[in-house]
Amino acid sequence: MQVVEEKRDYTKAKYGMWFFLFTEMLFFGGMFILYSIYRSKYPHDFHLGASQENLLYGSINTAVLLTSSLALAVAVLAVRKGRYRFSIFLQAATVLMGGIFLVIKYLEWSEKISRGIYPNSPVLLRMDVGEIIFFGLYYVMTGIHGLHVFIGMIVISFMVYFTATGDITSENYSKMENTGLYWHFVDIVWIYLFPLFYLIT
Amino acid sequence: MFHAASNIAAKVNEAFIFVTAACVVLLVAVTITMIFFLFRYNRKKNPVPSDIRENTPLEILWTVVPTILVLGMFYFGWVNFGYIRNPPRDAIEIGVIGRQWSWAFTYANGKQSDVLNVPVGRPVELVLTSADVIHSFFIPAYRVKEDCVPGMKTHMWFTANELGTYDIFCTEYCGLAHSHMRSTLNVMQVGDFENWYEAEAAAPGAEGLKLLQSKGCLGCHTTDGTKKVGPTFKGLYDSMVTVITNGKERTIRADEEYIRRSVLDPGADVVKGYPNIMPTLPVTGKELDEIVEYLDRLK
Amino acid sequence: MEDTMADESFYREKGFRSWIMSTDHKRIGIQYLGALLSFFSIGVLLGLLIRLNLIAPGLIIGQEAYNQVFSTHGIIMIFLFIIPGIPVAFGNFFLPIMIGARDVAFPRLNRFTWWLYLTGAAIVALSLFIAGGPPDTGWTFYAPYSIRTSANVGLAVFGVFILGFSSILTGINFVTTIHRLRAPGMTWFRLPLFVWTLYATGWVQLLATPVLAITLVFIILGRVFGVGFFDPSRGGDPILYEHLFWTYSHPAVYIMVLPAMGVISEVVPVFARKAIFGYKAVAYSALAIAGVGYFVWGHHMFTSGMSDTARVIFSFISFLVAVPSGIKIFNWVATLYKGSIDMKPPMIFALSFIFLFSIGGLTGLIIGSLAPNLQLHGTYFIVAHFHYVMFGGAGFAILAGLHYWFPKMFGKMYKERPARIGWLILFIGFNLLYFSMFILGYEGMPRRYFDYPPKYFFWHLVSTIGSWILAVGLAIIAWNLIRAVFRGEKAPMDPWGGRTLEWQIPSPPPSENFGEIPVISGEKD
Ligand code: HEA
Ligand code: HEA
Ligand code: HEC
Ligand code: CUA
Ligand SMILES: [Cu+2]
Repeated sequence: MQVVEEKRDYTKAKYGMWFFLFTEMLFFGGMFILYSIYRSKYPHDFHLGASQENLLYGSINTAVLLTSSLALAVAVLAVRKGRYRFSIFLQAATVLMGGIFLVIKYLEWSEKISRGIYPNSPVLLRMDVGEIIFFGLYYVMTGIHGLHVFIGMIVISFMVYFTATGDITSENYSKMENTGLYWHFVDIVWIYLFPLFYLIT
Repeated sequence: MFHAASNIAAKVNEAFIFVTAACVVLLVAVTITMIFFLFRYNRKKNPVPSDIRENTPLEILWTVVPTILVLGMFYFGWVNFGYIRNPPRDAIEIGVIGRQWSWAFTYANGKQSDVLNVPVGRPVELVLTSADVIHSFFIPAYRVKEDCVPGMKTHMWFTANELGTYDIFCTEYCGLAHSHMRSTLNVMQVGDFENWYEAEAAAPGAEGLKLLQSKGCLGCHTTDGTKKVGPTFKGLYDSMVTVITNGKERTIRADEEYIRRSVLDPGADVVKGYPNIMPTLPVTGKELDEIVEYLDRLK
Repeated sequence: MEDTMADESFYREKGFRSWIMSTDHKRIGIQYLGALLSFFSIGVLLGLLIRLNLIAPGLIIGQEAYNQVFSTHGIIMIFLFIIPGIPVAFGNFFLPIMIGARDVAFPRLNRFTWWLYLTGAAIVALSLFIAGGPPDTGWTFYAPYSIRTSANVGLAVFGVFILGFSSILTGINFVTTIHRLRAPGMTWFRLPLFVWTLYATGWVQLLATPVLAITLVFIILGRVFGVGFFDPSRGGDPILYEHLFWTYSHPAVYIMVLPAMGVISEVVPVFARKAIFGYKAVAYSALAIAGVGYFVWGHHMFTSGMSDTARVIFSFISFLVAVPSGIKIFNWVATLYKGSIDMKPPMIFALSFIFLFSIGGLTGLIIGSLAPNLQLHGTYFIVAHFHYVMFGGAGFAILAGLHYWFPKMFGKMYKERPARIGWLILFIGFNLLYFSMFILGYEGMPRRYFDYPPKYFFWHLVSTIGSWILAVGLAIIAWNLIRAVFRGEKAPMDPWGGRTLEWQIPSPPPSENFGEIPVISGEKD
């Protein structure tokens, strides 16, 4: 959104961004509702399912994402202070950490898939219905979240470019700020996903 | 028009008449006023408008009064709802299974039928479910319907007020032959019902026909030579049929083996000119023998 | 059209590219209008085809074709025509002008939504033609059928998903615009009521559409990867789908009708030569409808097997929605009182809206009450109800808006007599077509039926004849307007004596709308 706003009115751009995040919240909200309903329907199976999750991967990813969030927050500050090179460095770091997050997700998924656990797989279909749902939700929710991380990485890369070309300055950094908002949102969603899938055992 | 063929219909009519009456009154009131103003205050009669912008008491009036009104309407829709939804203990329980695209009714003693037979004047409770997608069981004359949801049991009940036969429709869209997913409700004298209920399968081969009904085959096939969703069974046995077997077209004899295959693995060879939508239905070997025997007799 | 255009008008720039790339809200509005009416015409043809089949089932089209036709009809009419409808066409064109702004908050985003809209539409269209055939699920995509059918449901659903995204962004754009770009002195309670309804609508789009989006995603994943969230054999719950779907799709009906009410609130006062009666009440009732409307979705599921308590609660709230709608109706009628009423075409359409929408809304209450719904759900009574509200309501409002703003948008006047005649025919046809459906429904004729017992034939016949009459009326109206675009004589700045800002600037308006941003002061006229 911030990409298309007219230069000056920051508040306008912020409004837009907040409204957008609001809809994103409802979008994920739909999934969380589904999760809670099915969890109350199959508490035992969800318990079983969660116990098969790889807590290590999950924890590392949480750490990575939190750090990246911090890095980007600082990056925004840096732009404000006019320390562009430092900011660029931090932004790049954020993108990198996003990448690491996705790689770990990939490992995690491929490990499950190698165990034959993926939607519609014979192994899965032989499990209790509750577990089918649990892993269904697992793939869908982490998948869609991963997609958001990926989009975030692209947007931030643009910010790196803009900061380099001086499109983003200490006077005009609302692009940067809104990108920050978006990344924090993605981070927060993960903060909810993590316990729901890894810690409920 | 407001004739009540069942106890439920009576209750529904009451509510319907009240709510509708209220709505008609409102509509007429609004419309008349509007039209009156149009004539009284049109440009010719009233060239200069007078500047009236608001009137708080009026606003309050037409907020409060309608609120009370709608609450009244809600109440009338609701009073009998408890009665409609809660069958009495002594109700005769009948299982209803909807499947694409036919109805199957199962009675306490395991008797199966594709039409719904009930005794007059006795409360009947239907326990509904579905074998595939969502259907909805509707008896227009009785003003009741309830969805048949796969993996779940829903219920409805009624007491027939008088003898007769009534339409049964499926009112939840369920695919190709949704509009042909109909059946009949037979309200019988208690005596007749008892006899039918106790009666055992009579004529030889009738076993097969009963199966075709209860399994829902007749939802898509007929025994009288007319084609429905699927080809008719009449004259099928030992006839030559053109089928598509995995992409390739071929003409083969509809012998016993072919028929068994068609039932157990409908996708195997699909009759030319028909969609490959026949479901694989649960049929035991013994049942299949019966069916084959019946089809053989039918040719 | 160029030569006759006022020179400073926003039409000045010529050439295809200057149109499709322009971020001028007026050009975008016009393009949306064009697209909408084209899709609408397709929908109309499908509608007529439905009617044709219903007087001779199987004669023209077969069972499968019929299912695809009414599904496509519904999908086009809802997602491509009536939901984007008024906001993207009239909203885009007039919202900035009415609040004294040069453009919307995010002009480029606005253009982007247009491309999204076209993409979505294209994908839906694609699903009709490639192997597998058009969706045959109805516009409601009920699971598990929508997950099992072999038709191109996945593609169609994806198209709708894109359309939803476009709709969300438009909502964000409008709400932001109304918050940030009001001209100096344009306080909230000086806003034209049309703007108020756009504001309420924007919020509904923000709050409801994401839920639809995720639901559609579930359908797609269910079909592609076999994720069985709604498939009982895999622990899923089909009723949950219904809940999610209607959580969006009931609020969606207010996305359709709120802006329509806004149009009426503009037209009625102008042709009664009065300020609207009870401005604040009308403004607040829009918010009330948007708010309450969010909690009534369950009334589509009274027979779904949902718990009886839930049914009672949803029925109760459904009745409450009637009150704010009533308030609007009453205030419109009160506006006529001691006015000086001039029955110009826009006014005629506006008044027909009040009448037809009342019928539609009131029947909504009949089906909203628990006991009668057991009888009427899934019958033609429902079909009649929603055509009265959507087409008698929203549809007629679009016609009212077209005739009201046409001079401003195209700088031309249309002939009044053909418009009147067209209206009369349309109105008669409409009631023949849809009122007979109430009777059919009451007698138990189920909807989405390709074929039916003979006893229903008579009213189906009446209805079909109605559809032809109505089509004639529509044709006259459309022809009259199209003709005016090319041959109509030049329109003055303010042909109707309107009070809102768009009538203070030339027709058609200049590129940046205002030489300098106006300052609004004192009374709202
Ligand atoms: C523009 C779209 C629109 C609008 C505005 C409405 C408005 C309303 N609708 Fe409708 N509805 C649909 C579009 C719409 N609907 C569609 C598309 C379907 C079918 C979906 C499908 O299954 O395919 C549907 C289905 C539908 C159902 C489900 C039926 C079923 O399938 O079982 C119900 C049930 O309660 C309902 C109720 C209502 C109510 C109570 C209102 C209220 O908002 C009406 C309020 C208006 C009035 C009350 C009239 C004006 C007021 C007065 C004249 C003042 C005096 C009156 C009083 C104060 C009481 N609608
Ligand atoms: C806005 C929504 C809209 C509109 C306008 C229409 C218009 C028509 N509809 Fe339909 N209809 C639906 C929305 C709409 N429909 C939906 C959602 C369904 C449910 C589908 C499902 O079950 O899934 C449905 C279903 C439906 C059925 C039930 C099918 C079934 O259940 O078996 C029938 C049957 O006759 C029907 C008929 C018609 C006809 C004859 C027309 C038209 O041909 C009549 C002609 C229309 C007009 C004359 C429009 C008036 C003018 C305007 C709207 C403004 C535009 C202005 C200009 C072009 C100048 N429609
Ligand atoms: C959903 C509808 C449907 C149901 C229910 C159904 N069938 Fe079919 N059947 C079809 C269709 C369509 C065809 C033709 C296409 C094909 O061969 O698969 C067919 C083909 C057949 C054939 C081959 C007919 C021929 O002309 O070669 C036989 C035999 C048959 N079905 C038996 C049965 C039996 C027995 C049952 C019940 C246990 C049954 N069907 C239930 C739809 C159905
Ligand atoms: Cu079964 Cu429709
Ligand atoms: Cu609704």
